[in-house]
Amino acid sequence: MERQNRKSQILNILAKSVRRVVEEDIPDFDELQEIRLRTGKPLIVIYRNREVVLPTERKQHITTKEEIRETMEYISHYSLYAYENELRQGFLTVEGGHRVGVSGKVIVEKDKVKNIQHISSVNIRMSHEVIGCADGLLPYITKNMQVCHTLIISPPRCGKTTLIRDLIRQISNGNAYVKGSSVGVVDERSELGGCYLGVAQNDLGIRTDILDCCPKAEGMIMLIRSMAPQVIAVDEIGTSEDIHAIEYAMQCGCKLIASVHGLDMQEASRKPVLGELIRRRMFERYVVLGNGKHPGEIRGIYDERGSVLCRDW
Amino acid sequence: MQRLVGGILIITATAGAGYVYGTELKKYLGKIQYLRYIVGLMKGEIEYTGAPLSEVFSSVARRVKEPYRNWLGQLSARTESRDESGFSRIWNKCIDRYLRELNLKTEHSVLLKELGTFLGQMDRETFNRSMQLYLNRMDLEIEKLREGLAAKKKIGGWLGIMSGIFLVVILI
Repeated sequence: MERQNRKSQILNILAKSVRRVVEEDIPDFDELQEIRLRTGKPLIVIYRNREVVLPTERKQHITTKEEIRETMEYISHYSLYAYENELRQGFLTVEGGHRVGVSGKVIVEKDKVKNIQHISSVNIRMSHEVIGCADGLLPYITKNMQVCHTLIISPPRCGKTTLIRDLIRQISNGNAYVKGSSVGVVDERSELGGCYLGVAQNDLGIRTDILDCCPKAEGMIMLIRSMAPQVIAVDEIGTSEDIHAIEYAMQCGCKLIASVHGLDMQEASRKPVLGELIRRRMFERYVVLGNGKHPGEIRGIYDERGSVLCRDW
Repeated sequence: MQRLVGGILIITATAGAGYVYGTELKKYLGKIQYLRYIVGLMKGEIEYTGAPLSEVFSSVARRVKEPYRNWLGQLSARTESRDESGFSRIWNKCIDRYLRELNLKTEHSVLLKELGTFLGQMDRETFNRSMQLYLNRMDLEIEKLREGLAAKKKIGGWLGIMSGIFLVVILI
């Protein structure tokens, strides 16, 4: 049933002519990772980690402007205005938590992106959860059945969002290492929950409250005031406002799980405001991810002093 | 005596027909005013919540009477199911199918269908402006109908009586 849902979720947002091609050539939608539509260019999908030009047996399907328009109509439920804020960021999330990235003519007003018009490329990235990917990590980032303040440091595309998502789920549900705790998630880009109309499409556990499409700094403070979370989780912290909000949350008695782009501990320490938090030993655990053998590879787990707890998992 | 009763009955019947004509005109104005009210609700809902059209339709459907409720409910379901390649097709089909009993004049049916050509297609700012322009046009149409209504009602009433008298004179 779930498999059928995933297939229909994906097919329903494609233009009818594209829908036919994809349906004929993709036997297993669980293995489908991306669909790329570009005006005047062949229809390309990433299937089983390989790029495939569709259809495979016949002449390439060249995507038309009309197909892109039709796809955008389906994606937005004929209501582009309702997704203006998301489009401004270049993507929107559809039912099932799948991410649709768009590009086209950008309208700029007062040096800020106001909207994207004449959309010429659409990239549909399938949402995927890796349930249990944080199993091995939990013993290292918990103490007395409580989660420690944890910072995940990772370059892009190394699986930090997937890892945080599973951590949230496990902390929220509780298990042998951690007592089930209420988790507040600030999901600025709808990546963790993959929310559709405010409802998380990914499993984030039974005690999770999510603020979707909310700026991280504001969201953390809102959550503390309104939902009294025991743990706050945020993805891809970057601005000084984010870091100050993290510090505030830590001082309010919340445990914090955050991720940041970076190669290793040293690089993270060199970041202007975050570096100061690291030097003050505000975080109790650091998890460094890499992409050597596979996405989500843990290169090292460190404590607040920077001592290695585990390396090259 | 029979002629007198017959004459009175004829005049009453034709005067009644004239009265019904006037009432129908008033009812028609009511229908257009109600459609304007619905479009106003949609505009408010979109402005305030920024929700997609399917949600807007189902939310407005809960606040209006039949047959508008069914019309909006069907619009919501069809928009949600993404059956058609363009929203205007769904909009036009639903008007033709679920608002048939309103017996809208061609010009008013065209006016209503026009809304489907831009609903949901623009950014919110442009959309709000277009909706306001559209509502102004509806107001103008209502004003036109209202202006002629009193005179038409009076003419209808008098025509009914006069045609009755005319018939009586001929028949006698």
